[in-house]
Amino acid sequence: MSRAAVRRAAVGAAWLALVGPAAAAQRVTLGPHVALASYREVASGLRYQGTGFGGALAARYRRLSAEASVMRVTLDPTEGSAATSGFKVTEVNAWVAYDVAAYASLEVGVVRHSADPEFDAQSVGAVRIGARSFYEIGPGATVLFRANYLAAPRFSGGGRAPFSLDLGLGLDVRLAGRLHGTAAYAFQRINRKTNPGGTGEIDAPIQETVARVGLAVGF
Amino acid sequence: MTRRLPALVLLAGVLAPAVAGAQAVQNATLRRAQQAYDNLEYRQVLSLAPAALRERLTGAERARAYELLGFTYGAMDSILKAVEAFKQVVLIDPERQLDPNRVSPKAYSAFDVALRQVLLVRQLRVDSTTFIGGQGAAPIRFTVTQPARVVTRAIGSGGSFLIDSGAWNGQVNLRWPARLPNGDPVPAGSYTVVVDARLGQNAFSASQPIRLSHGSVDTVAHLTSLPGYEYLPETEQPPQSWRPLGLAFLYTGGALVGTVGLESSSLGASSTRELAVVGGAALLTGFVMTLRKPAPRPAAANILYNRLLRDQIARRNQDIAKENVARRQQVQLTLVPLVKPGGGGTR
Repeated sequence: MSRAAVRRAAVGAAWLALVGPAAAAQRVTLGPHVALASYREVASGLRYQGTGFGGALAARYRRLSAEASVMRVTLDPTEGSAATSGFKVTEVNAWVAYDVAAYASLEVGVVRHSADPEFDAQSVGAVRIGARSFYEIGPGATVLFRANYLAAPRFSGGGRAPFSLDLGLGLDVRLAGRLHGTAAYAFQRINRKTNPGGTGEIDAPIQETVARVGLAVGF
Repeated sequence: MTRRLPALVLLAGVLAPAVAGAQAVQNATLRRAQQAYDNLEYRQVLSLAPAALRERLTGAERARAYELLGFTYGAMDSILKAVEAFKQVVLIDPERQLDPNRVSPKAYSAFDVALRQVLLVRQLRVDSTTFIGGQGAAPIRFTVTQPARVVTRAIGSGGSFLIDSGAWNGQVNLRWPARLPNGDPVPAGSYTVVVDARLGQNAFSASQPIRLSHGSVDTVAHLTSLPGYEYLPETEQPPQSWRPLGLAFLYTGGALVGTVGLESSSLGASSTRELAVVGGAALLTGFVMTLRKPAPRPAAANILYNRLLRDQIARRNQDIAKENVARRQQVQLTLVPLVKPGGGGTR
C-alpha cells in the first residue's frame, strides 16, 4: 500500500469518526489527554521516553463505533541510551468497529507515526485489522482490550515488517454528568527488517508503549 | 300414640278454620256458623252456613261460608259435598290456598280435588326484572288447574302483544323478551299481562298489571389493569459481586501478558510506566465499581410480561370500546309488577 493510500485511508477514517457521529447524533465523547510514551528502535541501547498531549474522539451509533486520537509527544533519550538527541513524534490513530457480539467488535483502522526531525526516527504508516472486547464493569465504566494486526506497514527508512502487532487497554469512566475520565494504553511491536545496501536483511525492530490519560465531554 | 294421632289431626282441622275465621266477618249468621264450627257442632254449621249464603254477603264472606261447609263435610266424611263446597270457594277466590300443615288431610285432599275439577289460572306472577332489549326476558309464571289452551298477552297503552299461546297444564313458566317483531323493544308504559285459559266451554282469565320503562344501558369502564395481574418492575438490581474487579484484572492482565509476551528480545524489556498508569486506573475503577451498588439492569422476562399485559389490556379495551358502541344503541328494559286492583274470574 502506498503512502498516499495510507493517507487517504487515514483521512477517510478520521472523516467517518468526525462526521458520522454528528450526523447520527448519538453518543459522542471528545476531549484532551496527556500522554506518556516509551520508544525503542533497532537495539536495546536506543531508547527514548517522553510526554505529550493530544485529543481523542469517540462515537457510537447502534452497533457501529469509531475512535480517533491525535497526540504529539516529545521523546528524549533515557538514561543509558545510546541516542544523543530526542525528537518529536505525531501519532494519529483511527478505528472503525462493528459490534459482532454484546462484548466484542471487529475493527479496522489506520496508524500513522510521523517523526520530527524526519530522519531521527522511523515514520510509520500501517493499516489496522483486529478485534476488541469491551465490558461495562459498572454504571458508566467500561474497560476495553484490543489486539490489532498492523498490515502493510510503510517506513520512512524503507524495509518491511512481516509481523507487527498492537495491543491496547482502555478505560472510560463517566465521572459526573457529561464528564468522562479516559485512559488508554497501547503497546506496539513492529518487526521491521531492512536490507541496507543489498547486503542481506537485518532486524530493525520498533517497540513503543503509550499511555493516554485525559478527560472527555459526552454529547 | 296411634290413638292420639287422629285426634291431633282432627284438632288441627278444627283450629285452622278457626284461625282463618278470625278475619272480620260482618254477617251474623255466618259468625254463628263459624262459632258452631269452632264448637264442633257440625249439624248447626250445615244449617247456618247455607242460611248465610242466602243472605247478602261479600265475596270473602261467601268464600268463607263455602269453606266452612267444605271443612264440615270433610269432617263428616262427605267428601263429594266437601269437593263441591271447595269448588265454590276457588271459583270465588281462585288464589285461595290451604296450608297442608294446618288443615285435616281429608279437607286438604277435597280442596285439591276441587281445584282439579275447575279450570283456573292461579298464582300469576311477573317478577320485577331489568334486562337489555334483545338479550333477556321477563319471567312470567302461573298455574293452570286443568289442561287448557292458554293465551298470554300484554295489553296496554303501547298496544296488545302476544306473549305465548299453547296448551298447558300445571305450573307454567314463560319468558317475555318484550320485543316487537322487527326487533325493537315494546314501547314503555303500563300494561296488563292477561292469561286466558279455555277448555271447551269453560274459560278463565287472570291478569297482572305491570309497568315497563326504558333506560340507557350502562357502558363498561375501560381497563387500566387486569385483576390479579400486576405490572412487574422492568429493571432488576443485580447482586453485588467481585465481577467488576475481576474483569478489570482480566483485561489488565491480558494487556500485561500481551506486552511481556510480545517484547522483542533484542530491544529488552519495555517500560512498564505506561501500563502501570492505565492498568492501575482500570483496577482502581474495578475496585470502586465492586464496592458500588450495581446499576439496575433490564429484566427481559418482566419487560416481555409487561408488554403482553399491555397488549392484553389494549385488546380488552378495544373490545370494551366496541361493546360500548353497541351498548349506547341498546335499551335497558325495566319491568315492575304493580299492585293488582282485582283478581281473575270466570267468564
